[in-house]
Amino acid sequence: MNVNELKTTAQLAMLDIPDPEKLAQAFSEMLDNFSKMMAVDVEGLEPTTHALAQGNRLREDVPRGTDESEAVLDRAPEREDRFFKIPNVL
Amino acid sequence: MYQSFIGLEIHIHLLTRTKAFCGCTAEFGAPPNTHVCPVCLGYPGVLPAVNEEAMKMSYMVAKALNCELSPKCYFDRKNYFYPDMTKNYQISQFHDPVGRNGYFDVEVDGEIKRVRIHDVHLEEDAGKMIHSGRTSLLDYNRAGTSLLEIVTEPDLVTGKDAEAFIREFRRMVRHLGVCDGNMEEGSLRCDANVSINLKGQGLGTKTEVKNLNSARFVRKALEYEIKRQGRVLGKGEKVIQETRLWDSDNNVTASMRTKEKAHDYRYFPEPDMPPFCPDDAFMSEVVSRVVELPLVKKQRYLNGLQLSVDAAEFLVEDRLFCDLFEETCALGGDAKQISNWLCGDVQGQLKRAEVALTDSHITAARLNELVKLVDSGVLQRGKAKEVLELVIAEDKDPSAVVREKGFEQVQDDSQLDGWVSEAIDKNPQAVEQILAGNTKTISFLVGQVMRFSKGKADPKKVTDKLSQALGL
Repeated sequence: MNVNELKTTAQLAMLDIPDPEKLAQAFSEMLDNFSKMMAVDVEGLEPTTHALAQGNRLREDVPRGTDESEAVLDRAPEREDRFFKIPNVL
Repeated sequence: MYQSFIGLEIHIHLLTRTKAFCGCTAEFGAPPNTHVCPVCLGYPGVLPAVNEEAMKMSYMVAKALNCELSPKCYFDRKNYFYPDMTKNYQISQFHDPVGRNGYFDVEVDGEIKRVRIHDVHLEEDAGKMIHSGRTSLLDYNRAGTSLLEIVTEPDLVTGKDAEAFIREFRRMVRHLGVCDGNMEEGSLRCDANVSINLKGQGLGTKTEVKNLNSARFVRKALEYEIKRQGRVLGKGEKVIQETRLWDSDNNVTASMRTKEKAHDYRYFPEPDMPPFCPDDAFMSEVVSRVVELPLVKKQRYLNGLQLSVDAAEFLVEDRLFCDLFEETCALGGDAKQISNWLCGDVQGQLKRAEVALTDSHITAARLNELVKLVDSGVLQRGKAKEVLELVIAEDKDPSAVVREKGFEQVQDDSQLDGWVSEAIDKNPQAVEQILAGNTKTISFLVGQVMRFSKGKADPKKVTDKLSQALGL
């Protein structure tokens, strides 16, 4: 992986990479391993997206009785009344 | 000359009680962050589970849009960073959505246009933000509520086509009972992609128009945008692929400044959600809930029941009116007459009384009774309005109102004959005028009979009797 590719990927993931050159090297090794896997013929096989998927997991459309809103608001770094508060992002 | 291509992306809020992937209430209007929990706020370690009803409604819409229904649909993460979602991704469907390759028929100027549907997929809505001063305030009540996205192929040509599509689509989801279709409040939202090109050259460079919160704005914005792109190409310039916002105050679209970089959402299968495979019971419920669609209904009303265009269009606008109409017809009444009552007096009085049909105490049985009372001559057409008013206001059967108010018309011929003779005997001058050819004066005599009967005679019957007695 070249450094520019890594920088773009990091940017998409909102990650700050202190030493891109070094990491790019490590990523390249990882990608080499992937390319070995990619070489395997999987024609006609369904991709394994979930190792433990056993049937549907559905939820009935019934409201949960408990109110957890105060608890989650209290855990916010900053709140204003009932709002979560962050620096202006507009 | 240029030709235009329009595709729509429609989002609808499904009318589920809870959010798509957690048990929070999906109701609107609560104080900020009332309906939030660790799941919809994306706390580490939580496990989302899909709402069965949201899944059913999604398949219903896909079925109604004639899509190929997925036997195994997957959820994917759409990754983006913006504080309207705490998770930094939206659960959506990308590789295997609920439905694909469908179509929807729309009537434009009396002609049916078939619009292909690219796909139908279920996802979650984002939260709301209020920006003020140096801070942004976040409210996640709406975050995680079920949102169904419907993407059309670019088969629409004019703004008018798009407006007709939206209106027909809105009627459809309302008939299915999956969305209230309110565009102003955002429960039905529409973005439009539009491009123009020289004939035969295929699609041009498209722009995406947003902020379209009524079907009329969809038409106006697209008409504007097609003209604007025409001017750009006419000057030898190129259309820039961008997102533009409709400005309804100035009737223009304006470029929305966005980051140069194209989005890369890095979709991948949502590891926390297993794929969903509808079983036979699920599918048969979906099929049974896909009711006759409004356009089909309208054609049946027009061609099968011979209703007027106005009446048919009025009825299909509201499923409740259709249901009441069909239930009343099933009781044996005349379809045309019933439809006239519904789009005339019933609608008018509900509007005046500001009562919804569901709260109006008007039932098929009562409407049928009312029509029959008028038909059989027991109740005057004029008085029937008053009866209807009391049915709505006092929750009573029409026959009971007629009895209480003494509205029954006198059916007894000998009594009517008596009043007719009396009117003739007491008004020789009027009789003379009528016999001299001034037949309009007969209404004066009818009025006299109505007075004798205290309004309980049937004016039509009285007129007939008077004409007969005077040898007209």
